[in-house]
Amino acid sequence: MNTEVNFHPSTELLQKFATGSLSGGMNVAISAHVELCKFCRQQTSEFEAKAAIDWLQMPTESDESDFSDLVAGIIKQPQIDSIGSNGSALNEIHMLDHSVRLPKVLAKAAAEGLVWKQLGGGINQAELSLDDETQCEFIYMKPGSQTPVHKHQGSEITLVLDGSFSDELGHYNPSDFIARSGSDVHQPRSEEGCLCFAVLDKPLTFTKGIARLLNPINNYRFRRSLARRAG
Amino acid sequence: MQIVIWIREKRVFCDMAELSLTLDSTAMRDFAADTEPKQTPARSSEDGMHARTPDPDSDESLLIAVGNDQCTDAFNTLFNRFANKVFAHGMKITRNEQLSKDLVQEAMLTVWQKAPLYDLDRGTAQSWIFTLTRNRCFDMLRKQKRQPSCVSADDIWPSEEDEVDAREQQDSEFIGTELAQIDKFIKQLPLAQQAVVEQIYILDRTHEEAAVALDIPLGTLKSRLRLAMGKLRHLIGTE
Ligand SMILES: [Zn+2]
Repeated sequence: MNTEVNFHPSTELLQKFATGSLSGGMNVAISAHVELCKFCRQQTSEFEAKAAIDWLQMPTESDESDFSDLVAGIIKQPQIDSIGSNGSALNEIHMLDHSVRLPKVLAKAAAEGLVWKQLGGGINQAELSLDDETQCEFIYMKPGSQTPVHKHQGSEITLVLDGSFSDELGHYNPSDFIARSGSDVHQPRSEEGCLCFAVLDKPLTFTKGIARLLNPINNYRFRRSLARRAG
Repeated sequence: MQIVIWIREKRVFCDMAELSLTLDSTAMRDFAADTEPKQTPARSSEDGMHARTPDPDSDESLLIAVGNDQCTDAFNTLFNRFANKVFAHGMKITRNEQLSKDLVQEAMLTVWQKAPLYDLDRGTAQSWIFTLTRNRCFDMLRKQKRQPSCVSADDIWPSEEDEVDAREQQDSEFIGTELAQIDKFIKQLPLAQQAVVEQIYILDRTHEEAAVALDIPLGTLKSRLRLAMGKLRHLIGTE
């Protein structure tokens, strides 16, 4: 990439990524950033090494755990001496006038195909199902698109894959990893068009009870989609 | 500034910063190839053992013995050292005893199966076994929760050899084609303009440095560069 990466996952997120304690969707977003960002790749290796040290220092109850009967079964299995390539069918997203090469993990996640929905305002969305805790999707903002002003709900991760967008807090380029949590008011806009991958907390409070009654489903979904762009 | 290049029958947009990066890295590679013999990293485990791990009882030595000689004694020792730790990791992440027991089976089986892929360049044995444990744990938990299985742990945390091989292959293919194209276009420029392009985009000099190196006024350099870029854009765009 020709632009410098300015926005990275927090240290805390990278540490959790290294120890394996995040949800699938979060892991995918961070993995994709890490593939694009050398700095975070190095950080991740360091955190993995540190996590291994912490792991070995963790106290274990030595009395009740004897697994030695497993060994006989294991050593009968054949060993692997080369890594097979797990090539994926889809590694590019074709935009109107060009193609975008996806990070490998996103290519894999999108391998079964993407269903794009138009959300109005020049925003298109393709959802991915990656885990129970988050909502994951590709978002494409057409050149010149701008979302209405809205209040952001829940936490959201946005990884820019192509093009760029801006909000009141900054301008975001490919590989930038933007985390938002809280109730900032945003108005994302994109002059040149922008392809992103976004991960949102499932807003459980909004899918139940009075809030849902107050929002006709479509309207609710539309707002959620816009809120998503807040990252 | 944007340039359109045809590569592999595909249109690629690239701006001048990217173009210079491409030229630059390839120039560096050619330079390296000229000045020193191609080096392959010392990957043999024997060299590594003598140089860095004389202790035959270290986790690394044991893991290498498992990988090179299918040494079951070495595996037994590793199993005794790590099985409880694997179980503890499982309990921490899944809080489920049965799953954690299954994780011991899965993770230690992976250690056995993948041991031939381990070498000392991959870091400590502990770190290597930890990442295998983390990955199997993630996959097990996902399966248990019946979550979509399109993305596995090995996609999320690609092992180094996957990543480096795939990237290098793609990049060298890409850069090779691209450079051959661009080089052809640059050769069509007048010599004075070629020299300027070389200074700025291949040797990565500033305008001022390039003017000094070519012993021409800064204004002349800038206008030659502008002409060269205009001509390049024209050549590349109409190819
Ligand atoms: Zn980063």
